Amino acid sequence: MFTRSKSFLAAAGIATTSLFASPAFATGETIEVTGEVIDTWCYYSGVMGFSEAVRGTSHHTCALWCAAGGIPVGIRTEDGAVYMVLKIEDEDPLAQTDKVMELASDEIRAKGTHYKRDGVNYILVDKVVENKGITFRSHEDYDSVPPFSAPKKPKG
Amino acid sequence: MSRFSTRFVFAAAALLTATSVQAADFSEGSTAKEWGLYGEEKAMFSGKVVDIMCELSGNCADNCGDGRRNLGVVRDADNALVMVLKNAQSAFNGATADLLPFCNKAVDVDGVMIGDDEDSPSRFYMVQKIRAKGDAEWTKANKWTKDWAKKNPDAKGKGPWFRRDPRVLKQLAAEGHFGLGVEFDQQYLKDNE
Repeated sequence: MFTRSKSFLAAAGIATTSLFASPAFATGETIEVTGEVIDTWCYYSGVMGFSEAVRGTSHHTCALWCAAGGIPVGIRTEDGAVYMVLKIEDEDPLAQTDKVMELASDEIRAKGTHYKRDGVNYILVDKVVENKGITFRSHEDYDSVPPFSAPKKPKG
Repeated sequence: MSRFSTRFVFAAAALLTATSVQAADFSEGSTAKEWGLYGEEKAMFSGKVVDIMCELSGNCADNCGDGRRNLGVVRDADNALVMVLKNAQSAFNGATADLLPFCNKAVDVDGVMIGDDEDSPSRFYMVQKIRAKGDAEWTKANKWTKDWAKKNPDAKGKGPWFRRDPRVLKQLAAEGHFGLGVEFDQQYLKDNE
């Protein structure tokens, strides 16, 4: 699309969205979701490869690195929808505790409050009802992603 | 405006609203570094740094959660809430340390929008530079590693932070690199000798 029409569409979009701007606070919807706790940066950016390779066992160590690094986690359901996690039970997700680390790559069933704004799903998890652990054995196809996240022999 | 133009404006506006308000082009003037990511588009814009949970639900905390909560930027141009996933560093670093000094303040940011997942077509932001609105000088969004070092004085040593992080090491010791147990890791090492 040439520049002029792209600018025109952008302007039209901005004008329209201003007319329908979100209220200050939305009313959340209570939902229950089942899915894998994912590292959202690697999943959405493709920086480590396509999405199946950056989930499950193959990507577990990298998911821990990203969670510890303060990158938001999400819950990806079987149909591919992703809910960005803003709260996990009684904790904030970047609170430097073990909770988000223990859930990384696990398949969970969670109850919580859902919000959607500007094309992004968000969830405040009230309760993790069930945790099946890691169920997606992606290492069988992709080994370790990235390769330098594979276990190493202790030195000495 | 002609009848045809009016129809075109409404049709284009309706299409954009239906797909995503984050589809607008904010690349003009951006000097962001390209990373070759999915759906990557340079994006420089003005807005306000917010605690996303507060913005959505009204559940707010002092100083945007003091680093414990996910932050975003509400863009001035279209009121879109842009979730920030990443700062400019290349070692698994989020952006909270870089955004927090600007909690509830007006800023300019420069970086890239990413994301073109078929099943979940959401768009997110990687912030590379930030400044208070009106300032001339930009600050690179690379505070995370220094912030981590201050919070983890006992984790000094060689190698990148993620090889020394206490929470990562604790979890790897508990469930192994693949999450299948330490015994699985030992077998993996034997099989890959």
